[in-house]
Amino acid sequence: MFDELEKAVETGRNLGAEYVELRGESGFIEYIQMEDRNVNALTQRLERGIAIRVLVDGAWGFVSTGDLSAIDFGVESAFKMAKAAAKTRKDPIALAEVKAFEKKETLDIERDPRHVPIEEKIKYMDDMTTHIRDFDDRITAVTVKVRTASGHKYLVTSEGTRIQSQSTLVWAYPWVSGKEGTKLSAARYEEASTHQGWEYLEQVATPEYVGLNAAEKVKLQLEGTPAKGGSFPCVLGPRVIGVLAHEALGHLAEADLTINSSFNGKVGEVVGAEGVNMTDDGRMPGMLGTSGFDDEGVPSSRVEIIKDSVLKELMTNREYAAKIGQRPTGNARAESYLFPPIIRMRNTMFEPGDFSPDELFEGIKFGYYCADFRGGQAQMNASFQVGIQEAYEIVDGQLGQPVTDLSISGIATDSLFKIEGVAKEEFPWEAGRCGKGQEAFVSSGGPRIRFLEGGITFGGVTN
Amino acid sequence: MPNERELDELCKYIVTKGKELGATHVEARAQSGVELETEVELGQVSTVSNKMNEEIAIRLYVGKKMGCAFTNIPTREAADEALELAIAAANATTEDADWVGLPVKSKYPKVEELWDDSVPKSDSSDVVRIVGTLIDRASSAVEGLIPAYGASGALAYHSAYANSNEVEHSEKSTNGYVVIGGVSQTESGMTPMVVSYDIRRGLKLDLDFVVEDLATMMKLCKIPKKGKTGKHTVVIAPHAYQQIFEYTLLQSVRGDNVARGKSKIGDKIGEAIASEKITVVDDGLNPRGVNTSCADDEGVPRQKTPIIEDGILRSFLWDTYWANKMGVKSTGNARRNMRQGLVEIASTTIVVEPGEREIEEIISGIEHGYYIRGVQGAHSSNPESGDFSVVGNPAILIENGKMVGAIDGLMVSGNAFDILKQVEEVARMPFYLQGTIGPEIVFRDVDIIAKE
Repeated sequence: MFDELEKAVETGRNLGAEYVELRGESGFIEYIQMEDRNVNALTQRLERGIAIRVLVDGAWGFVSTGDLSAIDFGVESAFKMAKAAAKTRKDPIALAEVKAFEKKETLDIERDPRHVPIEEKIKYMDDMTTHIRDFDDRITAVTVKVRTASGHKYLVTSEGTRIQSQSTLVWAYPWVSGKEGTKLSAARYEEASTHQGWEYLEQVATPEYVGLNAAEKVKLQLEGTPAKGGSFPCVLGPRVIGVLAHEALGHLAEADLTINSSFNGKVGEVVGAEGVNMTDDGRMPGMLGTSGFDDEGVPSSRVEIIKDSVLKELMTNREYAAKIGQRPTGNARAESYLFPPIIRMRNTMFEPGDFSPDELFEGIKFGYYCADFRGGQAQMNASFQVGIQEAYEIVDGQLGQPVTDLSISGIATDSLFKIEGVAKEEFPWEAGRCGKGQEAFVSSGGPRIRFLEGGITFGGVTN
Repeated sequence: MPNERELDELCKYIVTKGKELGATHVEARAQSGVELETEVELGQVSTVSNKMNEEIAIRLYVGKKMGCAFTNIPTREAADEALELAIAAANATTEDADWVGLPVKSKYPKVEELWDDSVPKSDSSDVVRIVGTLIDRASSAVEGLIPAYGASGALAYHSAYANSNEVEHSEKSTNGYVVIGGVSQTESGMTPMVVSYDIRRGLKLDLDFVVEDLATMMKLCKIPKKGKTGKHTVVIAPHAYQQIFEYTLLQSVRGDNVARGKSKIGDKIGEAIASEKITVVDDGLNPRGVNTSCADDEGVPRQKTPIIEDGILRSFLWDTYWANKMGVKSTGNARRNMRQGLVEIASTTIVVEPGEREIEEIISGIEHGYYIRGVQGAHSSNPESGDFSVVGNPAILIENGKMVGAIDGLMVSGNAFDILKQVEEVARMPFYLQGTIGPEIVFRDVDIIAKE
């Protein structure tokens, strides 16, 4: 595919584009869905496509097509479209300078999902259904989804970058429903790898492990008590802290969003309580958001977003790096050839602190411990919301009864100052998908963190 | 881009070839599209894009064993390869005893004005001009506006469907849209982003409405106010309730969820589940509906399906598979995820029947309450229990009959099925949104949790 892409780069260059970027993809993609043991979707596909992006007179033109014979037409269209946009711009878009790379990135995959028999995949899903069903008689319906992918990505730019990288995905997701009397409830769980093949689902995200993680939450919800509405002292567990890092702070630290958000102009300022450190790291081996390069050919890196409570650095692509005078951090990611790359998180975390986990609960007369989430969303005024599917009351410093569905919210720029303690502990990462107009696989995590009353608002029943 | 006749021919070829290869039942849906769009960042058009997509989805059965396939190449050769994958998948999977059959022939409704020639005739400069004009006018109308986001688009699609029951259907449609998301600096930070848009079949878009709608909200968002925790009267705009309903009520009226015991109202047909002031219809034929078409994604005619009439639950939404299983008729609500091969039940355009009074008159009678224009976190609701807990954002304080300013971090909690019974009134003037047409709804005694 490189030859076709390089020819197209040449076409763009000859037309007069300042920068030409061709991304090609070719691979196997599979989706299977099973509902109560019936397979209701089973699609395998081979897909090829090209993304063409050109910068002309300071504006972008972008074309995506699955028709490889139309590449030159696509480059010409992108060129014309960029010209049309450029006429309206007051400030031309510029790109931060980067080194050009010629690389071939490979993965160490034991079992390419493309070659795993469908029967084995269906058995995996059926086994997961069995583990979930056997866990509790009150479970009434089970949906299991599996996605796999295996292929190659190619990037060629007019600056000499030429990168071929191998891509893989294995993803498992159960949605479990339960019923007791007239009370209905549901919970979900997901695990994924972008570095291992089917062996990840055999050895790590096994049917039992993934299935029971969802089933347990349904049981807790059926037995839980409603949450009180208001503000309470609370401890957020690693999975919730991870999504908080992502939603409440991570999005505000994506340079394309920062500029329109409450974090604008705050680089160098104290933005949180003592002991708050937050990082996005695209280099952590084997993690969901890790890759050698981003989709602009910039090496992934570690971004110390908050260091010792100070907002230190933002996540950038080449365009925003130039705009704000910061280095390109390798965070430009595209879901597929159908989309241009935009600034996305990779592996985002709060760094461990120096509290013992027990200390975090001490002295809380009444509060909540939030252990697992279901979705979250951020807004430009730093408002965040996280849905909680597993929570417990904290009564006199001890974990109490489980709580039914609730959600938590806050204003990130306030809540960060209400952090009272960060645990010194290893933590599990959660595998997630971020939807900023495109899907990106990300992971998030952090140690348990305690917030003072007033830091987190709990949605629930009022008196 | 292949037109609908070429796609129709390809679908018929797939059905014939699939049967030759051993499938007992075959269906194919093909779609081609050209999506010419702009994107605005920091008040200027940054990108013009053109996505040229062809999508061909195949679903076939060998006996009662199902397999699917997808290709993005609209040729017979690519279709042959996809058919082989689908047959292999069907042979490898297990039998679905509940499967009855594919859709059968029916008469299609006539739906006018799905296609507007202004869309395929437009070029980059047209979509750039539309969004540029909107940004300029909005910037003049709102002091301190930062047009954080904006976009415009001219989208044209051709589609075709054929199956082994001799069902054949093809159609074409267009959409034009323009959208702006604005923020503004406040003393303590930034306002929430206010999004306003217009979407139609052509490019004659109502920029006046978009500017006025944005300006009204932005002016309020710049005035900080505090909320009060407790049970209050809440006016919810369709921008917000469409999201809450999407993840609660509309999940519960999906026929598959009813059949699988996942709906809290699955046994309530004919019963009052909401205030008598509420009537909700799924209108697949509404001329202003973005999702309106002659047929759904498995070739079944679209229709208008009453969901709630004067508070009484009247119907659920069905596709062919679940309708056959439950002994009812499909309501033309099948939506196909082409790449995944998944056919799901989905609403088309939810229409909330308007009430009699203008929203200003209704608000003038509220001493203390909240106007919720948007929500964060509706997708974290529990679709089975109906519990939701979201942040109203923007959330506007109503005091002494007037909207006076915006509140940060105001949570709205409840259960979708409970608050449907707490409807006080529906306003008169509908908003025309993507997937929803309806005015504001006023609810009483809603749990509001204000940030301390």
